[in-house]
Amino acid sequence: MAENIKTARILKFDIFRYNPAEPDKPPYMQRFEIEEAPYMSLFLALNQIREEQDSSLQFDFVCRSAVCGSCGMMVNGRPALGCQTLTADLPEVIALHPLPTFALIGDLSVDTGRWFRGMVDRVNGWIERETEFDRASIEAPMDNETADKIYEADRCIECGCCVAGCAVANVRPDFLGATGLNRIARFMMDPRDQRSEQSWFEVVSDAEGVFGCIGMMACDDVCPKDLPLLEVYSYVRRKAVASLFSSGEDHPARREAEKA
Amino acid sequence: MNTNTTTTSLRAKSVPRGERPAAYVVDPAAARRQVWLELASGGTGLILALFMWGHMFLVGSILTGEAGFNWVAHMLEEYFIAQPTVAFILLAFIIHAITAGRKVPAQLKERKVMRDLGRDLNAFGKGFPGMARGDARFQPHLESILWIWQLRTGLIIIILGSFHLLLIGADVFRATMEGGLGIEAVRSMDRVGGGLWMVYAILLICVEFHASIGLYRLAIKWGFGARLGRHTLHRIEQVLLWLFLGLGVVVLAVLAGWLPAPLEFLLKG
Repeated sequence: MAENIKTARILKFDIFRYNPAEPDKPPYMQRFEIEEAPYMSLFLALNQIREEQDSSLQFDFVCRSAVCGSCGMMVNGRPALGCQTLTADLPEVIALHPLPTFALIGDLSVDTGRWFRGMVDRVNGWIERETEFDRASIEAPMDNETADKIYEADRCIECGCCVAGCAVANVRPDFLGATGLNRIARFMMDPRDQRSEQSWFEVVSDAEGVFGCIGMMACDDVCPKDLPLLEVYSYVRRKAVASLFSSGEDHPARREAEKA
Repeated sequence: MNTNTTTTSLRAKSVPRGERPAAYVVDPAAARRQVWLELASGGTGLILALFMWGHMFLVGSILTGEAGFNWVAHMLEEYFIAQPTVAFILLAFIIHAITAGRKVPAQLKERKVMRDLGRDLNAFGKGFPGMARGDARFQPHLESILWIWQLRTGLIIIILGSFHLLLIGADVFRATMEGGLGIEAVRSMDRVGGGLWMVYAILLICVEFHASIGLYRLAIKWGFGARLGRHTLHRIEQVLLWLFLGLGVVVLAVLAGWLPAPLEFLLKG
């Protein structure tokens, strides 16, 4: 440890500064220098900068353990979580920008919430049933494999890194992005959801959905939670093609409902 | 660097449960069209890429000398394999250019955003301590820049490929009408050695690159070979790229007359 301290680097942070509340002041990059500490994350570094050098610096953090999804930022041009990224892995000069594709709140802070709310509204990101939900009855069992798949998709923390790193989302504001497709896939897999393939088809298949993707695969690589976004993506694509050839009446939940 | 601060149009509006906001209601017919377009672009891409490999072996017959090359050309033309193939490939070529081209961003500003993002993602990790550690998170992201190169090579192929297709098409159909061989070793070697090798060298590099990356992306997109994993698929793509590129360079050198046909002894024996 002593060795670490002796050879501590002086980190140079180039941080994007802009406050939409002061539109007269154009955006600029501001440099801050701090001494690197062992196991320092961007979360620690930014807090130190705000505490010691500039109290007006805006950035978001809540959980500091890659669960809340609020500290997504562009680190040297790549979307990443501030809390998860250690300065030891980065070069001496660290450039920080807010995530593109989202509304800017100020400096590094962006409004991902509005985007995600809009996305969930758009894909109807909830379980839809035609039959009335009966609170009193015992819940239908689900097999382990399906439950695991749904859980995997549900691990998304909605940090927005996949959207920010997506070339299509960067030029087309209405593109659903990997997280949107992941959300759809999660309900496609859920046997409790009774939507027909046809109704999914409308949401996923237009140019702002799965077929807007050009396959650069950045979403899969930048995802801080290592979600299987490529698998989700090819799953949704295959589903879309399958629905082209189906009558839309073959959803498992629908079949069950008809049997009952 | 990306400093895009524009607001997104995915805005939250309060919507009754189970209904989609009016702005997001999509046209099922348009969605259905998208699926067909996607199938057409992927399907023609697959056909063209596989055809290019077959094509390489057919042209590669020059490695056995002029006699071998002429024999292959003669067989293909005599039994009317070449003629419909030329027409079919020309059609697939046009369909692919249109359907795959629909994803090319139209505005210069959009292309710049894509290019900058691709460059940043590709530069990230190079020389970083995290990269040396082997952490997957700190590896440069190659695919984004590859897509941009796929677009560029595609545009070059539209120009040079059309030229080649029309040239060979004219040769083949003229021969069908007037008799004789449309594709002939002497004529091909004369053309290539006479300066067209420059066009064909560029076309060769572009086609091999475009086809191998395209097949790789196609596999990823539809989940073929997903069990192999992306890393292995990429490795396979690389091997195929260099294999066919290397073969192509040798074939081109023989056609240009710089190299003697290395397999000529096969037919002489």
